[in-house]
Amino acid sequence: MINFTINGQPVSANKGETILQAARKAGFYIPTMCYLEKTTPCASCRLCVVETDKTEGLILSCQTPPTEGLGVIIDSDRLQTERTNIMRLYDVNHPLECGVCDKSGACDLQNKTLEFGVSAQHFSAKDQHRAIEHWGLINYDPSLCILCEKCVHVCNEIIGDDAIELQFGGYKSSVIPKNSDTLDCTFCGECIAVCPVGALVSSNFQYSANAWELTQIPATCVHCSAGCSLHYEVRHTSNALGGESKIYRVTNDFEHTTLCGAGRFGFDFDQQSEKDEAEFDKAVAALQNASAIRFSSMITNEEALILQRIKEKLGIKLYNEEARAYQSFMNAYSSVSGKAGFGGSLDAIKQSDGIIVVGGRISSDNPMVRYAMTTAARHNGAKVVYMHPIEDDLLQNVITQFVKYEVGTEEGVVAMLAKTLLENADIGDELQSYFKELDEGYLCAESNVGDEEYARILKTFARLKRKTLIIGSDLLNHKRAANIARLCAMIETHTEFSVVVVAPSVNTIGVSLICDLDADKGGEKVVGYNAPGDYTMGSFADSMLKLPSLNAQEGTFVSISHQVLPTNVAVAFNGYTLNDIANVFGIEAQYTIDYTAQLPRNRGFNGTKFDDLGNFFGTLGEDNRGYTLDNIDVEVSGSLEEVETLPEFNGSVVYRCNPINQFNGYTQKTSQLEKDTTLRGSSQFAAAAKIGDGDKIRIEFPQGTQERIFKLDPTLKGTIALVPAYDVGFGVLNEQYRFEKVKIMRMGSES
Amino acid sequence: MSKVYFSTWRGEQINNIGKSDDAWENSAYNLPLEYNEHAHSKAFIGWDGVALFNPDVDVVRLATEYAAQYQVYSEACGRCAPGRWGGRILYDLLDKIARGEGSISDMEHLKEVSKTMQETSKCEIGKTVPNPLLDLMTHFESEFMACIENQKPSKHYHLEDTSYIAKITAPCMDACPAHVDIPAYIEGVRDLRFDDSLMATRQTMPLAHTCGRVCPHPCETECRRTNLDEPISIMELKRLGADYETDHGFGFFHPSEKKPSVGKKVAVIGAGPAGLTGAYYLALDGIDVDVYEELPVLGGEVAVGVPEYRMPIDKYNQDIEAVKSLGVNFITNTKVNADMMRQFEKDYDATLVATGTRISKKVYCDNERPEIQGYWGAIDFLDKVNLQVKYDIMVPEADQKRHMLPSNFVDLTGKILVCVGGGFTSMDVVRCAIRANAKKVVMLYRRDEKTIIRNTTYEEYHEAVEEGVEFIFHSAVAKMNDENDVLKSLLIDRYELVPDPNGGRPNLEKIEGASFEMECDYLIPAVSQSADLKLIPEEWEIERTSWATIKTNGKDYMTSRKGIFAAGDCEYGPMTIVNAVGQAKRAASVMSRYVQTGEITLTDDEIMEDHLRKLKVYDKKEKIKGWLPGLPRQHSEVLTVDERRDNNREVKYGFTQEEALAEAERCMRCYYIAMVAH
Repeated sequence: MINFTINGQPVSANKGETILQAARKAGFYIPTMCYLEKTTPCASCRLCVVETDKTEGLILSCQTPPTEGLGVIIDSDRLQTERTNIMRLYDVNHPLECGVCDKSGACDLQNKTLEFGVSAQHFSAKDQHRAIEHWGLINYDPSLCILCEKCVHVCNEIIGDDAIELQFGGYKSSVIPKNSDTLDCTFCGECIAVCPVGALVSSNFQYSANAWELTQIPATCVHCSAGCSLHYEVRHTSNALGGESKIYRVTNDFEHTTLCGAGRFGFDFDQQSEKDEAEFDKAVAALQNASAIRFSSMITNEEALILQRIKEKLGIKLYNEEARAYQSFMNAYSSVSGKAGFGGSLDAIKQSDGIIVVGGRISSDNPMVRYAMTTAARHNGAKVVYMHPIEDDLLQNVITQFVKYEVGTEEGVVAMLAKTLLENADIGDELQSYFKELDEGYLCAESNVGDEEYARILKTFARLKRKTLIIGSDLLNHKRAANIARLCAMIETHTEFSVVVVAPSVNTIGVSLICDLDADKGGEKVVGYNAPGDYTMGSFADSMLKLPSLNAQEGTFVSISHQVLPTNVAVAFNGYTLNDIANVFGIEAQYTIDYTAQLPRNRGFNGTKFDDLGNFFGTLGEDNRGYTLDNIDVEVSGSLEEVETLPEFNGSVVYRCNPINQFNGYTQKTSQLEKDTTLRGSSQFAAAAKIGDGDKIRIEFPQGTQERIFKLDPTLKGTIALVPAYDVGFGVLNEQYRFEKVKIMRMGSES
Repeated sequence: MSKVYFSTWRGEQINNIGKSDDAWENSAYNLPLEYNEHAHSKAFIGWDGVALFNPDVDVVRLATEYAAQYQVYSEACGRCAPGRWGGRILYDLLDKIARGEGSISDMEHLKEVSKTMQETSKCEIGKTVPNPLLDLMTHFESEFMACIENQKPSKHYHLEDTSYIAKITAPCMDACPAHVDIPAYIEGVRDLRFDDSLMATRQTMPLAHTCGRVCPHPCETECRRTNLDEPISIMELKRLGADYETDHGFGFFHPSEKKPSVGKKVAVIGAGPAGLTGAYYLALDGIDVDVYEELPVLGGEVAVGVPEYRMPIDKYNQDIEAVKSLGVNFITNTKVNADMMRQFEKDYDATLVATGTRISKKVYCDNERPEIQGYWGAIDFLDKVNLQVKYDIMVPEADQKRHMLPSNFVDLTGKILVCVGGGFTSMDVVRCAIRANAKKVVMLYRRDEKTIIRNTTYEEYHEAVEEGVEFIFHSAVAKMNDENDVLKSLLIDRYELVPDPNGGRPNLEKIEGASFEMECDYLIPAVSQSADLKLIPEEWEIERTSWATIKTNGKDYMTSRKGIFAAGDCEYGPMTIVNAVGQAKRAASVMSRYVQTGEITLTDDEIMEDHLRKLKVYDKKEKIKGWLPGLPRQHSEVLTVDERRDNNREVKYGFTQEEALAEAERCMRCYYIAMVAH
């Protein structure tokens, strides 16, 4: 702790904290234009200068830690003069187009200009013509840009795209795409979020509404399991009374959270319906006669509980293969760890100085995990080991060691990894002999991972202090998932590693905690809820009974960090809800959210009512969203099994993997997100399968066939191609093992 | 001392305008009076004032051009609000006045903007650009006012009779022999843009891993932060960019794209730091380079001289790979001789000699006969150690016998080794001897502890002491005692410092009767090295220095024979890696133009670089404003003695990210802009 004073009042700072951070914590206001809590200081605006009793000139509070006994003055005539002059400089030739600017009303430059009373242009300089850049979903207007560098910092330090940079040129400086003529990035849009002025804007939103007309609905993103906080910004679509309201854009509390492109641009997946009584009766009848309900994990905890109640009431089965796989994985995991959940979280990843990822394509599966890894790599210099059969170009600036293993050999790889990481741990004789008896030669040879790779991991991690193991969703559906889970649990139990299992969908974890799931053996009379069935209901065009989509519902999800997170209704839905159906069966509740307080306490829920759940961040970034699930103790009964013979995957192999920003039927429905449905492969894959770029092909899976276009992807190497799953139904990505041996046939060329 | 009409440089107030000759005052500073052999300077203007060498200088235009150069030289600007807009406003207003359209309020606005820039700019360039402008506006107010009142352009406004040459510098950049853009690479670390950091380094220094480890960092001695608390740990921050490139398996971040081939060929003799650097920048310029290396391995003294525990070879090899990646052709195991040199002159468009200094000098004691077994030159000793440790190249049988080694590597078990030295090489010898398991290791040094620390580093000396090296100061070998040509003991004289009665420097005088004999198996002379220049054909009559190195003018690095260049230790004498890099970088630049145009020229940037070095950018008396003192310099963790003394693990761990960021935040970005009018 460092003790110092601000304006004569005692304040303390932790080691590593700056004067600005300490001031904010203590409730003092120091103006800034370029400061962003989650990145390193941009230090470009200079507004945060302060006076001290140990310096003659003004010092920058955002990048200076205080020294013991320092006396800081944060407001004085001298500071006011200089800060006012800086605002006068910012206002030199800033286009007077607030009337049409998207940012107007929520603009830092407007706010500070008013705050410092700059009512006229005080200084003058030659104006310059600057062309507006159109970068797809993002437009950039350099004449509005104040070059605060926030966008550049988030893109590099948090996202990891590192797609933009500053072109230094004094007065002519601007933000430009890095190493490219146009913006070549994953289009997370975080640069738009952090832009304090109207320089970087959403091209789709531009000129469509004013900031002050929009109502912000706090919600939770539904596209992956990260459970990101977002605001649906809604407004009526016409000035006539009763004009329908719609979502105009999505924003995030960018000081404290980050959003990916799917969250930001993929919001228009809602659909309308009126109450169709006849169809409602059909749905009730279908359920009455049903043998099972098949549903996806894109469901709130409350609806999952309703389904569980229906199951109990009607004695039917519940199918959700994705959540069931996760459930079995975690059951096996808990049988070793003694805890219902894994111990890691997104925050733990961000804090790490060492990360190992096994079995998942993180950059498309869960962007928040990627961003947390980027944060750790940049800010902590984290060493990142990425173990997977396919290299991922997007992670190159994060990964420090790529370990490529053969498809299917995950059990052997995880066993060897556990052996490596547990080498110096106190694990008892039985475990020791288990690892001693592993047939290292065989496992290394079959998985094609040499023992020098494990030796390197051991060496790298020896000095690290905050370590995380990230388990990708490939492992959840592996034939040997249970033993893999137990091996992973051994690592968390006996080492300093914390573990994060990347659950596939927004509420896979919630469903796994709430529902007793049955093995999906098909059969007749299955009712599908946002899933295939003989009778279907849900939020898609082909659902027979239309139920509200997740942006038209209130309820909660369980995130990958085990937070129970609320979401709210952004757009009205006039049709029926699942709760209406349940009421017919005597499972009565007025509102779906009446079930929030009834979520099972024995699984870690705490009984809080929906209306008592917060959904916001404090000014210092305190997370006041929902609550964190209790990590319940469970009986330790599991023991490791011998590693089975490692399978071989020869011939054409495809990997179920969605393109960036595509996750599910919702993202597929949205208007702004790119919809690449091609099979993407390397030239090596193309040669082996005797296909070429643009060929129309048929892929024969064991479960059926798909017709797609083949796209040659120069960033890919090796013999495995990537096949999307978002366009063929919910949960398909994680209903089976993600790699599949297939037959590929050329049907013709694209034209 | 410089003859000036007017100067406000570093606070001096000289105004000789209108004074008679005998009343003239001279400036106390080495100002660039002569721009080059073709041009006299008219004025010099920079961060710390302005000097006029010609009574006819148009000061209004001079001020305008200086402000304009700040705009043009924008790599260092555009990054903060006061600098970006303020700089533009300065220029616009000054130009308005200079062209005869200014008003009184413009003068006021100039002062107001200047004040804000001085107080709040991000780096020193923004803070200091207004300084000389305000000086001119104060001392020559009448000239400014004349333009305003008469609405007439300044006297030379429409004449293109003067060239204005500007140059960005910083105290650390100026002190660095390779003039590395240090603030830029530190900013890269601070902004977590490690690729930018590395590219900034590689603009003038290809060996980032190496000079992030074993540079004696003269920059830190001239770091402006020293005036406030402690210097920035400049050297180690260089590793962040290099490690980023290596850790993530990126290709190589070169400072610019390699130019297409210009169809010219250059031979480089020696693959040490100078040779590698020369090859790197020549190759970037599209010139084909063949590098000839006598040893079986690349890297010169840094490879076979500097031990593994200080400079891990896998890191050095990364630097070497960066050079290779530009298509440089290396020919190893090839000792170039005079005949080959004659042939090179025909086959290549130019030749760069970068052969270093690889002959260990004698200690000059009685009975110092090279044939005595146990007498072993430092360079050869380190060669044998390092070739085995780093490359598994074992000691050949003849050498084993010659040096009484029990097996095919340097194993000193049970042996006593005495090294005479006091510089980095001798430190390497004694610390390697500890690691070779010697029974006792002694360093003899003529001077005292303080001097040895100054000649090496504090860490280096203390680490050696910790590892068990015995230092005997104020001592020298008087005689080697042998039995049948096998070294048995040494007679050692002791010295003391005797104050000069006349108040001069104290003298080292031998203490009579204090000499003693010391048993010893090996005597390693590491006093200094000389260059082996047998490869230079005698008939070329290439000029030598009084140190028996190759002579150049220290600016273009061409020898007295056209087309033959020399850089590094063979030119300067045994010096630092960064010195070799700096010389070779300059030589490559000159050679690149020479092979394409046949002319020996320096660029304006290089001319200014030399002028500023003569002037010296760092001012140790300057009082620092605008930065909080008392933020401690970070120190990276080192292996404990027990962890390191019997192996070759790298002693320093290097900064953790947290340490690196805290250290980078201390950098004050002391960029300055200087300009000569000629």
